[in-house]
Amino acid sequence: MSPRSAVALRDVRKSFPLGDGRSLEVLDVDHLALPAGSCTVLRGRSGSGKTTLLNLIAGVALPSAGTIRVDDTDVFALSEARRDRFRAEHVGYVFQTFNLLSAFSALENVMLAMVFADAVPKRLQRRSAAELLARLGLAERLAHKPQQLSRGEQQRVAIARALANGPPLILADEPCASLDVRTAGEVLATFLAVCREEEKTLLLVSHDEAALAAANQVFEMTELNRAEADRSTA
Amino acid sequence: MTILTIALKYLRGRLVASTLTAVSIALGVSLVIASVILARGIKEGFISGATDYNLVVGAKGSPMQLVLNVVFRMDLATPNIEYTIYRDLQQDQRVGVAVPMALGDAYHGFRYVATNGAYFATSPWRRKTFWLAAGRLFPDDPPNAPTYEAVLGAEAAAGTGLRIGDRFYEGEEMADYPLTVVGILRSTGSADDRAIFFSLSSFWGMNEVARKMVVKPLTAVLIRPKRMSDLPSLHREHNVAPETQAVLPSGVLLTIFNMMAVAEDVLTMILAIVGVIVLLYVFVSMYSATLERRREIATMRALGARRATVLAIVLVESCTLAAVGGVGGILGGHVAAYLAASLLATRSGLVTSPFLFGALQPAVLASVILLGTFAGLLPAVLAYRTEVAENLTPLS
Repeated sequence: MSPRSAVALRDVRKSFPLGDGRSLEVLDVDHLALPAGSCTVLRGRSGSGKTTLLNLIAGVALPSAGTIRVDDTDVFALSEARRDRFRAEHVGYVFQTFNLLSAFSALENVMLAMVFADAVPKRLQRRSAAELLARLGLAERLAHKPQQLSRGEQQRVAIARALANGPPLILADEPCASLDVRTAGEVLATFLAVCREEEKTLLLVSHDEAALAAANQVFEMTELNRAEADRSTA
Repeated sequence: MTILTIALKYLRGRLVASTLTAVSIALGVSLVIASVILARGIKEGFISGATDYNLVVGAKGSPMQLVLNVVFRMDLATPNIEYTIYRDLQQDQRVGVAVPMALGDAYHGFRYVATNGAYFATSPWRRKTFWLAAGRLFPDDPPNAPTYEAVLGAEAAAGTGLRIGDRFYEGEEMADYPLTVVGILRSTGSADDRAIFFSLSSFWGMNEVARKMVVKPLTAVLIRPKRMSDLPSLHREHNVAPETQAVLPSGVLLTIFNMMAVAEDVLTMILAIVGVIVLLYVFVSMYSATLERRREIATMRALGARRATVLAIVLVESCTLAAVGGVGGILGGHVAAYLAASLLATRSGLVTSPFLFGALQPAVLASVILLGTFAGLLPAVLAYRTEVAENLTPLS
């Protein structure tokens, strides 16, 4: 029996209107399945549709065609409000540029994700967020604002935020691309270890050797994305 | 954490901009509150300070000047009339009460008002009652034996620091005629609080010109007719007389209020313009704040925040700014009204209350919060419509 798919894409297309009546197709994926608890790495050149693919799986961008199922739920069959709630509970998203909210402390940034999902009881949110940050080595940094943290610490906060609601799926868009080599290595090792411990399904956009070594499957966008393949051969 | 705490965090995150916005709201609200309170206070000051007498007889001239001078101790002094006019009025069968008044110089800015005991008498038809806080009233001394005893209004006593038994005079030329404080009145909420009262004989004795005059001078006579039906004839007779005019204080008040109504209309227009400017300022502030954090809004949405949630956060922010500015403005408006009322009392003698509480304050606060929230509506819709995927990454 094949393992259950945490994420399944079928005939997914994404195109953007160019304004002159034509449109630019940036993504054309026939099929993609991520087994539950697996680590998948996506590779490809800039503009090959990696971030678009992550945004579609997260449900923050609408596909032009096709179906995307996360945890056996057709994400785009849900209303927008329910999709927001589903995303908050089922998907953790780590951005390349961290995207921490500057007005909030490290602890509050993690708690925010809990507030929006409402999956963690209110009385436990602070403690739970503090424990997560401590686990990522930030026990002394709870009250610090993002601008008071190093880039490596900021990305750890972003990882803690992605894990805050205990989502089964983690999407990470080049999480270490803006870090120096040493810090990137440390952050990635911690990130992979936490995801492995918690049996998360991880879809990681990365060119890092350590990430590739830890991956159960690696996809090149030129192989996965027919639109990208067409552009590469054109 | 709730939507309110998230909104408050954002406001604290841009503390300078938030403070400036709240201060601009507060200034606008202060202006509205102070203007309305002062306009009302001035009206009520005129009404409560108005005399209980129905007619003021004085020298020919401006009716408004006569009433403002005699009743409210404002404007320039009017020319004098002869004391015999008072004697004639006393003997007139139609006159119930006639009170002579002579207004002169001032001591430390507090006007000298010479009159007799009738001015302080209590009557069923009088709204105003004079109570002594200390001492006694001065006697109605004969013209050839002035006692130079003075009774101070409450503010005059507080302002000069004079106490019972103290002797005082204004200017070296008056050193030979010092007045002695024999009584201090309680506050009446009228121009009498800022007056220094003494007898007519003392007034004439202090005045070099009056001392030499055979027929002593007066500024005006306050009249209460026995029957109201006699008022028109008294009014007419003293107006056709060559030396005097008779003025109905209520008619002058009406003229003042009509003039104030025009000023109030202009003020309302100015306040409306101020309101629109403040509204625009709140809108621009909230709009630029929302534009600046589109990426953060997209991030919140990516974390699972609904469109309605980010809309609510922006609305709560503008609502909070409006509430803080509104409360600050109401407090500031009362402080401004208090200062203006004090200035008005010092400069004009008109006593106004800067602390008129009623429906005004809650109505202004509710309106400010409503308008502030309205100003945040478009920025909130901008936040609501923020496209997540397009705004997650910074523009390079």
